[in-house]
Amino acid sequence: MHWPQRWATITTGTFNKTRKQLFRPVGAEHGLALLIFDWCNTLTTIHSSQLSFFARHAPFDRMEREHLLWMLERMQLAYYAKGEVIASPQQGEATRFFVIKQGLVRGARIANTPQDAVLELHEGECFPVGALLGRRAVTSEYRAEEDAFCFELPALQFRELIELSVVFKDFCTRRIAALFEQSTQAMQAQLSHASTEQQSLSSTLESIIRRAPVACCPDTTIRSALQQMRDAHLGSMIVTDAAQRPLGIFTLRDLLERVVLADLPIDQPIGNAMSSQPVTLPPGALAYEAAMVMARKGFRHVLVTEQDGTLRGIVSERDLFSLQRVGLRQLSTSLRQADSSATLISLGKDIRELTHNMMAQGVAAEQITLLISTLNDLLTSRIIELECIAAGLQHENADQPELCWLALGSEGRLEQTFYTDQDNGIIFNVPEGGTADAVRQRLLPVAKRINEALAECGFPLCGGGIMASNSKWCLSREEWQKTFAEWIDHGSPEDLLNASIFFDFRSLYGNASFAAALRGWLNKKISGTPRFLHQMAANALRNRPPLGVIRDFVVGQQQTLDIKLNGTTPFVDAARILGLACGSSATNTVQRLREIAGPLHIGTAEIEGWIEAFYFLQTMRLLHQYECSARGAAMNNHVNPEQLNDLDRRILKEAFRQSRKMQSRLTMEYRL
Amino acid sequence: MIRKLLAHFGQPAVTLSAEQHLRLDALKTKLSIDRKAGLGGSRIVVVDVETTGLNLASDHLIAIGAVAIHNGHIALADSFEEVLRQKTESGKANILVHGIGGSAQRAGLPPEEALLAFLEYLDGAPFFAFHVAFDETMLRKACKKFLGINFRHAWVDLAYLLPELFPDYAKKYHALDDWLAHFSIGNDARHNALADALATAQLGLIALRAARARRAPDFKSLQNMEKAQRWLNASH
Repeated sequence: MHWPQRWATITTGTFNKTRKQLFRPVGAEHGLALLIFDWCNTLTTIHSSQLSFFARHAPFDRMEREHLLWMLERMQLAYYAKGEVIASPQQGEATRFFVIKQGLVRGARIANTPQDAVLELHEGECFPVGALLGRRAVTSEYRAEEDAFCFELPALQFRELIELSVVFKDFCTRRIAALFEQSTQAMQAQLSHASTEQQSLSSTLESIIRRAPVACCPDTTIRSALQQMRDAHLGSMIVTDAAQRPLGIFTLRDLLERVVLADLPIDQPIGNAMSSQPVTLPPGALAYEAAMVMARKGFRHVLVTEQDGTLRGIVSERDLFSLQRVGLRQLSTSLRQADSSATLISLGKDIRELTHNMMAQGVAAEQITLLISTLNDLLTSRIIELECIAAGLQHENADQPELCWLALGSEGRLEQTFYTDQDNGIIFNVPEGGTADAVRQRLLPVAKRINEALAECGFPLCGGGIMASNSKWCLSREEWQKTFAEWIDHGSPEDLLNASIFFDFRSLYGNASFAAALRGWLNKKISGTPRFLHQMAANALRNRPPLGVIRDFVVGQQQTLDIKLNGTTPFVDAARILGLACGSSATNTVQRLREIAGPLHIGTAEIEGWIEAFYFLQTMRLLHQYECSARGAAMNNHVNPEQLNDLDRRILKEAFRQSRKMQSRLTMEYRL
Repeated sequence: MIRKLLAHFGQPAVTLSAEQHLRLDALKTKLSIDRKAGLGGSRIVVVDVETTGLNLASDHLIAIGAVAIHNGHIALADSFEEVLRQKTESGKANILVHGIGGSAQRAGLPPEEALLAFLEYLDGAPFFAFHVAFDETMLRKACKKFLGINFRHAWVDLAYLLPELFPDYAKKYHALDDWLAHFSIGNDARHNALADALATAQLGLIALRAARARRAPDFKSLQNMEKAQRWLNASH
């Protein structure tokens, strides 16, 4: 199929001195055709398979075709046998830009910490961009780990290409950030497709029918129909004939107008009270058609029937409303005013729907996790408030109770994803003359109800029992300080694990000054016990990013990576340790990273690289969880790198390299 | 038909324009080349041809693909590809092999023009091919028929050079695809003359590097290595 464009194209290049002669017309019409072909094509005989190779790899896949051809015409293909040096610091200023066509190249730093000693490059990857841009020698020695073929572009042309192609320049100068953007865009495209399918008014009615319809026959008494409606929490009853064809519908409004106000005895058959000839639509009709019917005729329900007239289901006005995107303001107002657990449970669902939608619209992971945390905070606060009022701990519209509800772990860091179990605790005040135990006994049953209500709203109970209803984590300030002091002074593995969850505490509800005082005390205690952070660092460094030596990634038996444990956790851990070391009160990982830059003299570019990588991993987690839930599968953090596209795999690798860099910083800081 | 018969009698009916004659004269000096030229800075052309079939006597040339190796690197821009215009297209089964359809075959360059272009591209450089006897015979036949010249050129057959350089695999591998698979050289478009030439050239780079390791100084020494392997094969 590529032939017709190429028959008449002849190589350019300096070696063909006689090209002009070749294009001299042989027969008039033929010559003309030749010249036209000549004009349309860029005069190269570069095979389309070379182009298709580049089209598979970033950033070349986004470059304009003419720039790509320009580059290809100036490239050479070279072979390096296994073990051969491709580029090394001894060679002086870098002279060529390499793109790996096949094989494996390994870059090894000669004088550096062992953590970033090895760099593996695979098909489609390029090097050494930094050295070429900086007109310096490479810092790593690049060797062919397997027999390798590389496309090579001389440095001079590399610089010309940067001026020529904006895409290429962007890639070279911004690297990860540019790749990340590209990946995010692809992700958004994928998600917005899913989201329009699921959410819009252009979905079919059969896709939004929520449950099997409840129906009765026309001679059922009104009384028995009403009983059924009450038992099933229904606002309407469909009346069908023996063949399941709808005859009419009976709603609570009919009860008012046709029964009560019309003085109709409720022992009468429902057929006498129903609205007959209900509006029906086929299952394939779109949601907006149903909305139109309702708007025009003032109905609140539309029946869905099969072609033979039998009943398929019922769609209510409310079902259609829930299709439209839930507004953030509306949702937060509803959360503040919710007055029953049933309402809160359904609002919990709305939160998930809203955040999924936001994700589909391409809101960054930073904002999404913050948004999830904020809405979950509102939901949790309202649950606590309702329970405290019910327990007499607080009066409606009165001052805050004498307790502070602590959010721990990811909730404390404002980094909640779609799937987060509970981590919480309570700080309380001991009134004069009272004992901590007495207060605790009063609070524990309330805390238990709160934990259970949270579980109903979609926050699973914590398997490790880190919850306010656990007497170990419902403490006075003095008790908390004693517990924390023990962890800091002893530093057993369990203490360190606890510290990593509890030291991210944040006040979520109640008297925030309790939490602030505890934080102030903690920072002082830690700065007086340097050994503790040293231990935390050693512990954190046991969790190495899963970068492979032979393969890209080290995967578990299931061929998956734990994107939380191996991905985000190293960043979170390092940020916590360095944050605490700098006396920062922030609990959010990114905020911590920004706060340590100054005191630890870490360059902005380096910090931003870590943050970028952290966000990428968070986005990947969110996306993975989103996909799990869309499939109806249980949410987890296990990603199979084989199933990622090329681009995401490359960024994932880059993100792990950033985490390795951050760990080497930790190593340096604590001389580990 | 008449032309075919004449060809059999060794009387090719060559019809070249005055301009083509001039080009051919300019080329003739380059058809005998210096095989002693050092391997370092020299240009080697890697050729692959597509034909109407595998019969050396009755089949003929349809397309030529070539890429050049300069100083141990394949220069992507220095490549060549032409389809020779055919009077009648080759059979369906054959079309399926190389993918050059009937209309494409009839629309190619006139054979004289395509061959002249190829010789000008070759520019006196020696060539590499895999099972060169086939490619060379096809080229020689076409040159005789359309240009009226004896195309005798210096070449090395990778089908013999590779076993000589990699004796461990000499017994195992025979076909181009064996060697390509061994070195994991991908080819998205097998039986496309240019794509095949490029894949063959990648084998050529591997061979040149191995030859350098053996301190082979010039093209002549590559030919000697190849010859040694031929003797070895013949004596088996």
